[in-house]
Amino acid sequence: MKLSLKYKVLMIVILSVFTAFSLYYFVTKLQQEQAVTEALIDYRNITREYGLDAVYKSKEYPIEVELYPTAHTEAILERWKAISERYPELDYPKAAIEAEDWLTVEESLEDTDVLKEVVDQMYEDSTIPPEGAGASFTTLFNYIKYHQYDTQYIEEVLIDLGIEPLKETD
Amino acid sequence: MKKKKVIIVTMTIILLIVISYFGFQLVNQNQDIEDAIEQELYELKHTVEDIYAIEFLDDDRVLVFYSWSFPDYSNFGVMELEKTWRGWQFVEAVSNRMEMKNAWLKGVYVKIGDRAILRGPTWASVAKIEIITGDGREYRPEIGKAERNIWYLILDDAPFEEATFILYDNDGEVLHEEVLEFDLNWPE
Repeated sequence: MKLSLKYKVLMIVILSVFTAFSLYYFVTKLQQEQAVTEALIDYRNITREYGLDAVYKSKEYPIEVELYPTAHTEAILERWKAISERYPELDYPKAAIEAEDWLTVEESLEDTDVLKEVVDQMYEDSTIPPEGAGASFTTLFNYIKYHQYDTQYIEEVLIDLGIEPLKETD
Repeated sequence: MKKKKVIIVTMTIILLIVISYFGFQLVNQNQDIEDAIEQELYELKHTVEDIYAIEFLDDDRVLVFYSWSFPDYSNFGVMELEKTWRGWQFVEAVSNRMEMKNAWLKGVYVKIGDRAILRGPTWASVAKIEIITGDGREYRPEIGKAERNIWYLILDDAPFEEATFILYDNDGEVLHEEVLEFDLNWPE
């Protein structure tokens, strides 16, 4: 069976169009899957870091995840707010918190220079630490996020500045 | 000649559809539920998860109770999967943060699909729990064991806003008694 030139051209055009559409579909699908994976990792991290509740309605494109604050989240925000009220250079993202835009909230605590500046100022303002004592930005970060006292004097400094309540003694 | 070609093409298409159908059926029948759960949890990106229980609601629907987030495993999840022509597929998942500091047990209400589910962590020494509601209903929730212990109750009747939980040890001795409240409007 010999095909005419017209049919040959037609078949080549059809095959080319089919190949182009297939390629477009697979590339788009791949990009969507990558975006979904990145978004799910962001949701995972933010859920863990802020102790949020999460409802996953769809984990495929378009992704649908709802996040809700818990008592653990409120405790983090209270520590953050208490420091921000005394040291306003540490931004407390009230609008993002009210909008429950947790990814934006997280970005507000990423400026390590500000965290270092504030913790240095705290050590300077307090009468507790001796001359030369200091802390790194992670000290403030770990206190706000995890309620940890990972450096000498930080707990006493926080109590001295009225950010943490005085410990009850038996 | 033309008619013959049409018949051949039509028969080929029908044959391909039938083979595909039986192919999917074969793959779905042999799909291991534990592999499917592992895959779905991996796709959710919930790191280092522990599975406490797998409950079949019917042949085609399953609930998976798990916790995640190393090292504390304080995020407690429940996920629904449904069997479709594409195999086990994700329907919905809910993750609740519940910390056990100074508590015998915690509990939350969640609605997944058409099921009301109550669940939360409790201590390893708890072997049995009795739930008594204000209107006299009594339930015996299941207890799942992994990194932590969880209790869970899949309700067929109306959910309740509060109930008394009686916790027993392995010898049947009462360890603790506590009233838990549930927000039936969560997450709204």
